[in-house]
Amino acid sequence: MQRVVLTISLALALGACATAPYEPAAPVRPSAPGAAPGEAGVSQSPASPNPASPAPVPEPVPAPRSHRLGAATSALVTQARSASAQGDFDAAAATLERALRIEPDNPLVWIEMGRMRLASGDAAQAQYMGRRALALAAGAPREQSASWRLIAEALRARGRNAEAQEAARRADELAVP
Amino acid sequence: MKARTRKRLRGLAIGVAALAALAALAFAIAFFYYDREVAQQFEGRRWTVPAKVYAAPIELYVGLPFTIDDFLAELERLKYRAATELDRPGSYRRRRGRFEIAVRAARFADELRPAQIIAVTIEGNAISGLRAADGADIPVFRLDPLLIGSIFPIHGEDRIVLTPDDVPPLLPAAIKAVEDRKFDTHHGIDLEAIARALWVNLRAGKVEQGGSTLTQQLVKSYFLDGRRTLGRKLEEAMMALALEARYDKRDLMTAYINEIYLGQQGDRAIHGFGLASQFWFAKPLDELDLPELALLVAIVRGPPYYDPRRFPDRARKRRDLVLRVLAQQGIVSGEAAAAAAQAPLGVAARPSGGYYPAYLDFVRRTLRRDYKEADLTEAGLSVFTSFDPRAQLAAERAIETELARLDRTRPPPAGKSGLEGAAIVTLPQSGEVIAMVGGRNVNFDGLNRALASPRAIGSLVKPFVYLAAIESGRWNATSVLDDTPIEVPLSKGKVWRPQNYSRYANGPVSMVRALSESLNLATVHLGLDVGVAKVAQMFGRFGLDATPAPLPSLLLGAIDLPPIDVAQLYNGLANGGFHVPLRAVRAVVDAQGERLGAYPVKIAPVAAPDAVYQVDRMMTYVIARGTGRAAAARLPRGLIVAGKTGSSSDLRDGWFAGFSGTHLAVVWIGYDDNRPTGVTGSSGSLIVWQKIMSALDTTSWQPPMPESLEDMAIDYASGLRVTTGCSQDEVVVAVPRGTPTPYMAGCAPPSGIVDWLRGIIR
Repeated sequence: MQRVVLTISLALALGACATAPYEPAAPVRPSAPGAAPGEAGVSQSPASPNPASPAPVPEPVPAPRSHRLGAATSALVTQARSASAQGDFDAAAATLERALRIEPDNPLVWIEMGRMRLASGDAAQAQYMGRRALALAAGAPREQSASWRLIAEALRARGRNAEAQEAARRADELAVP
Repeated sequence: MKARTRKRLRGLAIGVAALAALAALAFAIAFFYYDREVAQQFEGRRWTVPAKVYAAPIELYVGLPFTIDDFLAELERLKYRAATELDRPGSYRRRRGRFEIAVRAARFADELRPAQIIAVTIEGNAISGLRAADGADIPVFRLDPLLIGSIFPIHGEDRIVLTPDDVPPLLPAAIKAVEDRKFDTHHGIDLEAIARALWVNLRAGKVEQGGSTLTQQLVKSYFLDGRRTLGRKLEEAMMALALEARYDKRDLMTAYINEIYLGQQGDRAIHGFGLASQFWFAKPLDELDLPELALLVAIVRGPPYYDPRRFPDRARKRRDLVLRVLAQQGIVSGEAAAAAAQAPLGVAARPSGGYYPAYLDFVRRTLRRDYKEADLTEAGLSVFTSFDPRAQLAAERAIETELARLDRTRPPPAGKSGLEGAAIVTLPQSGEVIAMVGGRNVNFDGLNRALASPRAIGSLVKPFVYLAAIESGRWNATSVLDDTPIEVPLSKGKVWRPQNYSRYANGPVSMVRALSESLNLATVHLGLDVGVAKVAQMFGRFGLDATPAPLPSLLLGAIDLPPIDVAQLYNGLANGGFHVPLRAVRAVVDAQGERLGAYPVKIAPVAAPDAVYQVDRMMTYVIARGTGRAAAARLPRGLIVAGKTGSSSDLRDGWFAGFSGTHLAVVWIGYDDNRPTGVTGSSGSLIVWQKIMSALDTTSWQPPMPESLEDMAIDYASGLRVTTGCSQDEVVVAVPRGTPTPYMAGCAPPSGIVDWLRGIIR
């Protein structure tokens, strides 16, 4: 009997954990600023730990990636912005999802969706969408910066000012002049 | 004497009058009663407009991959007709890759799109131009949403409701000629017809002819069971009179056309000419020709008896009789009838297409949470879904052909049913379900295994064990695991001794190999070290309603889940560690076009994206060289996909779950009675999965690598680091930057570097 109670309470405890979304305690720093040059925000091809390999071929450092919206997605984003400006967030969301289906991996679409959610008052979704955009923007500093910016605004709207400040700092760091 | 007689007569007259008055009163009361009954039922049905369910519209834009043949097929699916002049919406004309289309007006969740003419150009298997009639570029354009079904109150019953305008005029004329010639003039019952039928039946000594009017047939179908007693007949007649008194002939004819029973498929009753047309001929009613219409009218008399698939001769005889009657009545010319009698029956090989019971079931379950049943079945709602007919067709075909093949190679014992299967396809980023198969008889509205059959998921658990390990920071893809026998003490002195599928222990193995080859012993060692509770929590985080009990057997998949739950879990892996609730419904719009409900994408981070990336990368090796390798050669060349096989104990269940960059598919195969199948996840389910993936327009799994990770070439078996080209057995995995991994003997770069590396490792 005791074991049953224990199992049930354990299951309940686990269930309680399950509902909380995963969030890093503080914005993680995958690449500390000021570390090895070239690490700040730009995805590397495998970093070469063998500086004196037999035929020292320098690893090509890829140019920072950047994203843009296709013509179709771009038109949909424009349409969504005007719906959003008129306060029709349902229509804006539906239109942005059309864009998402066309370019599901484009961080700019996720940033746009997050901004719209923020405008409609759903700061938590805005923050998570910022996170999604950030993951898709690996190696693309401009979009990473925009993602952090969205995350910062969402955190501020949720009253989490310290985290918001940290996110804003990262946005500034990554900002392309 | 005279007086007595007169008195008697008067008494008799009074008696008769009293009786007549009584009868009239009884009749009036009965009529009143039936009138109310009939009115209630008929109004309920007549004004019922069930929710219409629509597939996702195809979004056209420049650059979208589309072959000319596929585009033609799409126009065909949407019932666009080739024409020389674009005289009306719903027609198109083509010159090579250039289409001019007179697009119909269409309602979407967010707009009412007017009818218009567009020009679409296809070059090199992609859309290269999209213009309006005035030549202006259109950035993006939606084709009409395809109607895929309606939501009806009674389980196992669906219908295509026709309005009088949808009905070809020949049909009511033919029905009247064959079933009820006096329909336009009688008041519900046709005494002459009854008398004639009585006479014929008396002479024949059995029931050969019915004298029922259409109204009576309608009443029988609405209210009464099939019993033929005198009481029933009287009741039926009363109701028919009541119906006729209330409604006009046109309403009654429309109700008849939508109501009458015309076929049977398992539990599914085929009611109404709209659905029957799809059921028997696989095309809409307004496209039927004379012999096909005549056959439908012939079937009315007895759908099981005149079943044209089972009894073609019988059905043909009666169809030709119908044709002769039509000619006699002057409804069609004698020549037309004679020509029609030469035509074959033209019945589609099996009822197929246009009926997606599993997907509709999923839609309905969603809607039931938010709407009253009455609103769904009566209020004329429009439901817009993410259904993709092409993905559905691919999934149906893959399940049907593979299960048929497996049943041939290992026939089920006599009296036992064959293998069953289920499949789900989603778009991982938005969580939209685009296809669902609930059983091998895809048109059969029976048990929906995709939603309602929890089965042991076996090794599908493993990626979550490895994810928990990697997230802890103590392991990575190069870590060496212990694939050796293990004894796990359970309660009451019992001991669990798991085994590998091969019954062979491999000793030390790399993590990537342990996952790719689904090694049980290595996984149990790892899972116990990580902590079973951590693994169990992972399921809660990825979307299971209840976190499973943290028992050691969970590590090898002793947990029963329906395919939809597996799809939810793997969707999180396919979506980089972000949970998105799976959904089918995008929006619900009422009869006036007002949006009632929206179901926007909702997202939540549930695991560290870099940990998920590492696991996903390892899962690509399941296909490239592990238990999923049988699929590698058959997939489109160069397509990178990740996945995992799963087989429960004694091979009672075979699973495959896997994803590309833009699609996730989950497949289950097993017997309904849970007996062993002899088929592993790497044979049956994997093949179905590969067929589905190959049929979709999908892209490689290659998200950008998180910046905290780097690629590392290692020896597959040992997990030791190698320089490129050194090992015969090299795989490239993703590991956290700066992960110290020793080089394989003879595979290290020159010693200076090794010393340098040692310095780092120490």
